[in-house]
Amino acid sequence: MMQSAPFNFRRAIIWIGRLVLAGIFIYAGYAKLFLPIMHPRPPIAIALSLFALQVDSYQLLPPWAVQYVAHTLPFAEIALGLLLLIGWQLRIWATLTSLLILGFFIVVVRTYSLGLQINCGCFANPEPLTRITVLRDGALLLLTVLMTVFAYQEARAPHPWSAPDKVST
Amino acid sequence: MNRRAILTGVTFLAFLGFAVGLNVHSAPVSAAAPQTANGVTDIDPHKAFGSKNAPITLEIFSDFQCPSCKTLFMTVNQRLIDNYVNAGKVYLIHRDFPLPMHAYSKVAARYARAAAQLGKVEPAEQALFTNQEKWEQSGDVDGTVANALSAADMVKIRALVKGGTLEALIDKDTALGQGYRVNQTPTTIIHSKGQTYPVVGMVSYDVLKSFLDQLLAQK
Repeated sequence: MMQSAPFNFRRAIIWIGRLVLAGIFIYAGYAKLFLPIMHPRPPIAIALSLFALQVDSYQLLPPWAVQYVAHTLPFAEIALGLLLLIGWQLRIWATLTSLLILGFFIVVVRTYSLGLQINCGCFANPEPLTRITVLRDGALLLLTVLMTVFAYQEARAPHPWSAPDKVST
Repeated sequence: MNRRAILTGVTFLAFLGFAVGLNVHSAPVSAAAPQTANGVTDIDPHKAFGSKNAPITLEIFSDFQCPSCKTLFMTVNQRLIDNYVNAGKVYLIHRDFPLPMHAYSKVAARYARAAAQLGKVEPAEQALFTNQEKWEQSGDVDGTVANALSAADMVKIRALVKGGTLEALIDKDTALGQGYRVNQTPTTIIHSKGQTYPVVGMVSYDVLKSFLDQLLAQK
């Protein structure tokens, strides 16, 4: 049987997806916790409460859920980013990432279609939620879904370099 | 395997460095206005509530014709005054930021300003926000404010509105808002301990309370 090259389209998408999404998630979590655009930087507790105000402006969740999301999402983003970067159990984390970005995309589309004029809150900077935000999240969703599907395909038919050695009998 | 891991790491670090660089170059939000009360100048005392020495100053940029501004006013304003402004914890400033897309919001801002000069800002703002759906259809801002104030006050208010001096005050608020990069309403700018926190859009009282309590607890 002919063996495929190690860097075919499928693997390239998985590789790009892991790097891009890991970078975005780690930076998004870091920015929410440390507010790099503010000088001097406020403590993390203040940064998380400020993020709670941004989550609340979406007018989607009750106050207790707003606080829960605001105080867990930045840490979850960093953890997910690191897991994608490491590549361990990629299918699980890629699936979770897809679901998370799908959630973001639905919220962003809803907010945009309702005409709510608020900030995105994505990277803790004063970035208004516009059509560009919707398109950006859509593109990220596409990348994540492709990465996830290809990660499953790759697991079923791994490249000989990464496949376990066959024991000759 | 090692070569692949190194390549992955290097590419990732390059990407992260690019992303951080992009954000570092965006201007800080905190360097907007010159200082007086908690970093805020150009305060119209008629539209400010509480003590200038309060540890937190809160500026709300709003438009009388904007539905989210109405919700913010109806659900947050009074509770904020009762629990934080009257307790000396927050200095609250109402700023005018009439959006060009609203036909009557500038007229409403003029009437509220005029009422403020007579010390009647609260009933005027209450009347304008409560009856927002009515006057934004009819354009009857005058009648809406007249229903909440006495005839004698209305004579003075109409004179002030026609006098044309209020326009400069409204424009000054708008310019201040643009200094903070406000482009939508409501936008709340919170000042505390030399730091400026912009919050865009409607927020619920409970979540705002939690943030204010965090700021007050900050050493």
